[in-house]
Amino acid sequence: MRDQELKHIGKPYNRKDGQEKVTGQAVYVHDMELPGMLHAKCVHSPHAHAKIVSIDTSEAEKVPGVKAIVTGKDAPYRVGLYMVDKNLIATDKVRYQGEIVAAVAAVDETTAERAVSLIKVDYEPLPIIHNVDEALEGNILVHEDLHTYEHMAGVFFPQKGTNIASWNRTLKGDVKKGFEEADFVLEDEFSVPAVAHVPMETHVTIAKADPYSDKVEIWSSGQSPFAIRQLLAKSLGINKSDVHVTVPYIGGGFGGKAGIHLEPFVTILSRAAKGRPVKLKATREEEFNLLPTRAGMRTRVKTGVKKDGSITAMEIYHDWDSGAYADYGVNVGKTAVYSGAGPYHVPNIELHSRTIYTNKVFSTAYRGFGHLETHWGIERHMERIATELGMDPFDFRMKNALKPGDTTISGELVYKTTGSPTACLEAVAKEIGWTGRKTEAERAEELKTGKIRGKGLALLQKAPAMPSYTSTAAIMQMNEDGHVKVMIGAIDMGQGANTVMAQIAAEELKIPMDDVEVVWNVDTDKHPYDWNTVASKYTFMGGNAVRKAAKNMIQQMKEVAAQVLRCHPDELEHDNGVIYHVHHTHRQIPFKKLAMGYMYENGNGIGGPVIAHGIYMASGLTNPDPETGQGRPGLVWTFGAHGVDLEVDVETGEVHVLKIASAFDIGKVINKKLVDGQVLGGVIQGLGSALIEGYKFSPDAKLLNPSFTDNKIPTAKDIPDQIVPIYIEDPETAQVDGPYGARGIGEHPMISVPSAIGNALYDALEIDFYRLPLNPESVALAIANASKKQ
Amino acid sequence: MLSKFDYQRPKSLQEALTFLGEYPETKLLAGGTDLMVVLRRNMQIVDHVLDIKEIPETKRFEYKPGEGLFIGASVTVNQISESEPVKERYMALKQAADSLASYQLRNRATLVGNICNASPGADLASPLLVFDAVVHIATPQGNKEVPIQSFFTGVKRTVLNPGEIVIGVQLADSETEDHSVFLKQARIKGHDLGIAGITLRMTPSHKVSVAMSAVAPTPIRLVDLEKQISEKSLDDTLPEWLESEIKNHIKPISDIRSSADYRLHISGVLAKKGMKKLLEMGGK
Repeated sequence: MRDQELKHIGKPYNRKDGQEKVTGQAVYVHDMELPGMLHAKCVHSPHAHAKIVSIDTSEAEKVPGVKAIVTGKDAPYRVGLYMVDKNLIATDKVRYQGEIVAAVAAVDETTAERAVSLIKVDYEPLPIIHNVDEALEGNILVHEDLHTYEHMAGVFFPQKGTNIASWNRTLKGDVKKGFEEADFVLEDEFSVPAVAHVPMETHVTIAKADPYSDKVEIWSSGQSPFAIRQLLAKSLGINKSDVHVTVPYIGGGFGGKAGIHLEPFVTILSRAAKGRPVKLKATREEEFNLLPTRAGMRTRVKTGVKKDGSITAMEIYHDWDSGAYADYGVNVGKTAVYSGAGPYHVPNIELHSRTIYTNKVFSTAYRGFGHLETHWGIERHMERIATELGMDPFDFRMKNALKPGDTTISGELVYKTTGSPTACLEAVAKEIGWTGRKTEAERAEELKTGKIRGKGLALLQKAPAMPSYTSTAAIMQMNEDGHVKVMIGAIDMGQGANTVMAQIAAEELKIPMDDVEVVWNVDTDKHPYDWNTVASKYTFMGGNAVRKAAKNMIQQMKEVAAQVLRCHPDELEHDNGVIYHVHHTHRQIPFKKLAMGYMYENGNGIGGPVIAHGIYMASGLTNPDPETGQGRPGLVWTFGAHGVDLEVDVETGEVHVLKIASAFDIGKVINKKLVDGQVLGGVIQGLGSALIEGYKFSPDAKLLNPSFTDNKIPTAKDIPDQIVPIYIEDPETAQVDGPYGARGIGEHPMISVPSAIGNALYDALEIDFYRLPLNPESVALAIANASKKQ
Repeated sequence: MLSKFDYQRPKSLQEALTFLGEYPETKLLAGGTDLMVVLRRNMQIVDHVLDIKEIPETKRFEYKPGEGLFIGASVTVNQISESEPVKERYMALKQAADSLASYQLRNRATLVGNICNASPGADLASPLLVFDAVVHIATPQGNKEVPIQSFFTGVKRTVLNPGEIVIGVQLADSETEDHSVFLKQARIKGHDLGIAGITLRMTPSHKVSVAMSAVAPTPIRLVDLEKQISEKSLDDTLPEWLESEIKNHIKPISDIRSSADYRLHISGVLAKKGMKKLLEMGGK
C-alpha cells in the first residue's frame, strides 16, 4: 500500500489514554478498594541460603485485626513459566535474602506490618553460592531436586546434580576448521551486573478466592493476564476457566511484570482469610529485593578472523547469574542460542548459554530480553577485533553484518525483507559524523582541556523470544452509531498498543480515529486471548490480528449490504462510514444502518449485530534443535545501530553523552510520536545500564542497595544532550508479512547502548572497558591506572 | 511503619523544653526528610515526635553586618539557596544547598536537620565548618553555644543531649570579597548523596580554610592542611600541590557508594578544582 493511500498509518496521533492519565483519572490496582478487603505484608528471609528450622506465628495471631497467616506449609505449590522451580512461599529452605517466608492478611497495612514483626523464624544458615563460578563448581546446590522440575522438554536442559537450570547450545559449521582458517584469534571476557526494572508502579495484586469453589478473581498490575490465568491455574491445580484476571492501567512493566509473580501467593492468603479479598502491594524495597531483576551475565568469547577482516569462527560461553530461580530466566538464556553473537555472519560457531542458579535475587524478563547483556560483550569484542586488525570498526562491521543470503547462527536464512543492519549502521555513522578513530595527536591536544571526546558505534538485533506457537486475537464490535470497540488481550503499559491498534482498525475500516476505541481494563473473561505482552511482538502480531478482524467486519457488512443493494459483495467498497457500489457510488448504505442488522421499510430485518474477530498465529517457527540450536525461532527480526558522541572528564571519570543517534530498520513507522517515545525511553534506560545501574551484594549475599538511596537510575540531569531517532522505512527491506511492513521496536532502543558508549570511551581514552556500569569511579580509576602504567 | 507516636507542635521554646524534660526520648521534627526514612524503615521505634516549626526562635533567618548570618532550625534549604546575603557572602553555602537532594526535598529539608542528622556526608556541614559556625542549643539549664567543629562526635552522633534543641546556627560575618566554593562528586548528576564534598574559602586577607564531607567519620575541617597552605604562596602551583597533599589529611572508607581509592582520587580532584576557582575569583 502506498503511503499516500494511508489515512491513519504513519500519523503521529496522541496516545488515546493520554488525557485520562495526565488528569489522574486512570485507575490502577494501587487505587482499588474492594468491600471487605484485607491488606497483606510479608516476612522476608534475612539469609541468602538457610534451612527454615521453625516458624512461630503465635504472637502474630494474637494481634487484633489479623485474619490470616500463611507459611510454606500452607502453600505446597510451585509456579513458573518455562521452568516450574519456584515455591509460592519458601518451604524448608530459603534461597535468597528477601524471599517470602510467611505473610499476614489483616484489616489494614499497619496491623499486618505489626503482626509480621511478631513472627519468629529460626534459620540454620547454609553455605552460599555467590556467583556463577561457585555455582559451576557444583559442590553446593541451590535446587537439590532440579531434575524433578517440570519444564518445557526439548527446549530447556536442566543438568541433574548441578546448578545449571538450562544449558542451551548452538553448533553451526566446523568450528575447529574455522579457527584453523583464521589468521588471528582474540579472546575476551565481559560482564554485566543484575539490574532492576524500576517501573513507576510497583507490583500489586488483589486476589479473591471463592471459599465454596475453585474460582479465583485476580486484579493485577501484570503485563500478561492470560499467562497469569494459565500459570495460576497450573500452580494451584485448578481449571483455567476458574481463574478470572483483570488488568486495568499499569504503570510500566519493562518485562518485570511479565509471566506470573505475586498472584498465586495472594490467592493463598485470600483462601486462608476465608475468601475475603486480599491486596498486596510491593514496597519499593520489595520491588528491588523480593521481585525479580535482570540477570547478571558473563560472556567469554573467542573469535577467529582473517586478515581481510572476515570472521571464520566463534566460540562463546554466556553464563547467566539467574539468582535463586530461573522460571523465566531460562528463556532469557535461550535467546543467546539464536542471537548471542550479534547480527553477524558467522560461518562456524559453538555457543553455550548456561542459566545458572545462585543465592541472589532471581531474574526474569527485562526489556531487551538478554540482548543488552550479550551485545555488551559481543559489540565490545568486535570493536577490539577491529582494533587488533587495524581496521576501521565501521568497515569491520559492514563487512561481517548479516546480508541477504547469509544464515544466522541458528541457520535462519536472511531475506532482503528480513531487514538491513548495514543501513542502520550507515545512518548512525553519518549522523554522528564518524570518520574513523581519533589520532594520538588529537587525543593529546584534547587532554590539555581535561576532557576528551570519543565516538562509538554498535549494532544490534532482536526477534521476539516466545514459544513457537504463540498466538493472539482481536474482537471488534460495532455500535449503533457506527463507532467501533476493539478488544485485545495485550496490555497497554505505556508503549501505546491501544493507540496503534486503533490506528490500524481505523485504517482498515476507513473511519476517523475518534470512532475507534480499544477497550482498556483487559479481562480474561471478556477479552480475547493474547499470550504475554512482551517481546516487541504486539504491533506485528496484534496488528495482523486487528487487520484481519477489520477486514472481516467489512466483509460482514458487505454481505448484508449486497442483499439490500442487489449486487455481489465483491462489487462493493467502503469509505467514510458507508458501504457503496464501486461504480454506481450513489447506491450506498451507512455502517450505522448495518451495525445491529439492516431493517427494511416494511420492518423486515436481515443481518445482525456486526461483531468480527481476527487471529494471528506465529507462522513457521520451530523449536531449536536440542544439540545444535538450529531452527527458525525468529518471527520478525528488527535490526538497529547506535552511534554515540561523548565527552569524558579525565579527572572525575564522568561521561557526558553529547549525542546518541539510533537507527532501526522498523519497516514502517505506524505512529512516530509513540515510536519516538520508545526510542527516547529505551536509549535512556540503556544509558542507565551503561553508566549507572547495578545490584551490589554483601559478602553474605545480601542486597546492599534495595532502595533509590543507593540504586540510582538516570534523572533528567543525566540524559544525553541529544537523542536522534532514525527509522529505516525502505519498502525493499520492510517486513512483508507485518502490518504495512512494520516491525517491533519496543525493546531494541536499549540494546547496545552500553556497547556504543564503551566503544566511544575506547575512542576517547584508548582504554578497554569490560564490565558495566561505566560509572565515574570505574572510568576515573581506569584512567589513573593506565597513566600509572605509562 | 511500626511506630505509633504522639505528635506535638509546641508554640514556644519553653513549652518544647518542658515536654522534652518529661519525654527525653522524643524525636525532633523539622523537615522530616531524614526522620521519615528512619520511621518508615522501622530503624527506630518512636513514641513521641515534637515538631519545632512553630517555635518562633527557629524561624529566625537574618544577616546582620558585623555579626553574621543566623539560620534558624526551621529554615529550609531552599530558603537558604534563595537568600541574597547567602548569595553575596556565603557562596559555598548556596552551592551546597543547591546540591542537596532534589528541589522538592529542599522545600522541606532544613540546614539544622542536616547537621543534627550528623551523616559523615552531610552536604551542608563543610560550608558551616569554613564559616566558623556556632550551633545555638537550648537546654533546660539555659542556652549554650557549641562551635561546629566540636558539634559532630561520630557517625550520626553529635554533642546533643536528650532534652536539648538546636535553635539555629550562627555563621561568622563574611565580607563580599570573601570567596568560597563548594564542590561535590556524586554517582549521578541528578539527586544523589555525595561520594565526597569539599568547601574551600579564602578571606580578603588570603586566609584559606578547607573542610570536607564523606571522607571521615564526621564532616571535618582540615586544620593542619590549612596551616600548610598558609605557609605557601598562592600561585598556580598551589592547586596541583593541594591535589596530592589533601590525600594525606583524610582517611575515607570503602562503602556502597564508592571505594576508598576513588574517594581519595576525587578528593584530590575536587580540591584542585576548588582551589583553581578560588584563585580565579581574585585570591591572587
